[in-house]
Amino acid sequence: MDSNLAAGLAMGLGAIGPGIGLGIAVSKAMEALGRNPEASGAIFVPYILGIALAEAIGIYALVVSLLLIFVVA
Amino acid sequence: MPEEEGGESLIHVAIAAEDLFVIGPLHFTNSMVGALLASAVLLLGAWWFRRRTSLVPGRMISALELPIELMGGIVSTSSTRWRGYIGLILGFFLMILVANWIGLLPGVGTIGITHVDATGHETLVPVVRPASADLNFTLGLAIVAFVMFVYWGIKANGAGGYAKELIGEPRYMAPLMFPINLISEFSRLISLSMRLFGNVFAGEVLLATMIALAPIIIPAVFLGLEVLFGFVQALVFALLAMTYIGTAIAEHHGSHAEGSGDGDAHPGDPQHHEPSVAPTHA
Repeated sequence: MDSNLAAGLAMGLGAIGPGIGLGIAVSKAMEALGRNPEASGAIFVPYILGIALAEAIGIYALVVSLLLIFVVA
Repeated sequence: MPEEEGGESLIHVAIAAEDLFVIGPLHFTNSMVGALLASAVLLLGAWWFRRRTSLVPGRMISALELPIELMGGIVSTSSTRWRGYIGLILGFFLMILVANWIGLLPGVGTIGITHVDATGHETLVPVVRPASADLNFTLGLAIVAFVMFVYWGIKANGAGGYAKELIGEPRYMAPLMFPINLISEFSRLISLSMRLFGNVFAGEVLLATMIALAPIIIPAVFLGLEVLFGFVQALVFALLAMTYIGTAIAEHHGSHAEGSGDGDAHPGDPQHHEPSVAPTHA
């Protein structure tokens, strides 16, 4: 019971940061695309890498909450 | 799930792949079926592709070529020596793509063997589990990527160059920077494998939850989303492996990589080490 609550908190709080980071990354990429549509090829790879790295933090939170549910409990 | 209070829960979630049968020390799990299935799809696809190849590709061939063309275009602009590793990157991409999408086929999580444990509790063990929803598979792929980029880094810059990279630039900072650099090398292994596993496993749980909550139209939306995520995760894994290999190869050549050949690394050139110094100030 306690660890389920902890898992929910870990995932929910851990999703805040990556959410903000992803929002910033996507908005900047869209801004750049809107200003210069020809640059889409050059933007694509760094964009994917950036969102992957931001998302990894959320995945760490997911891993922690999975550990809390399946291992600790 | 630990301690379900008597009633059966609607959602069946198992974080580890479940055994189908055991031969001696080998536990044959359902994610191995998924991996074999993905390999079979790729091998058959390659064989079919080989047989049908012609100068004017048909509609099916063109559709199959699309992802390969996309990846090939990205990899060939990443570094001047892309020919050495494009096969590995495309292999990662196709294998993960097929392994992810196999999990979305109808019947993958639902057709299974009913397994009754000692307490009389019935669970359904699915016959097929998407391979990338098993940490063993993703960790295996990440180890291959890790070994390859360390190998290529050593091949390009020599073992001394690689060690210098780990030690960092101001030599007196080595006791502090060496463990940090070592950890950051190994954290790539963890983050590569955990990212793929976490995404695919979370996708499976999300689909199972949605199907249990609203079985009619809603899951279709999430299935479409998971098709996109499966593609993006395959792309992300391949691109990260590509970037790691590209930086490992090009580390000491700096900005004029295209002009210089293999032999003339610049071991004593201080301004090429700027990026490795930067973390000290952070």
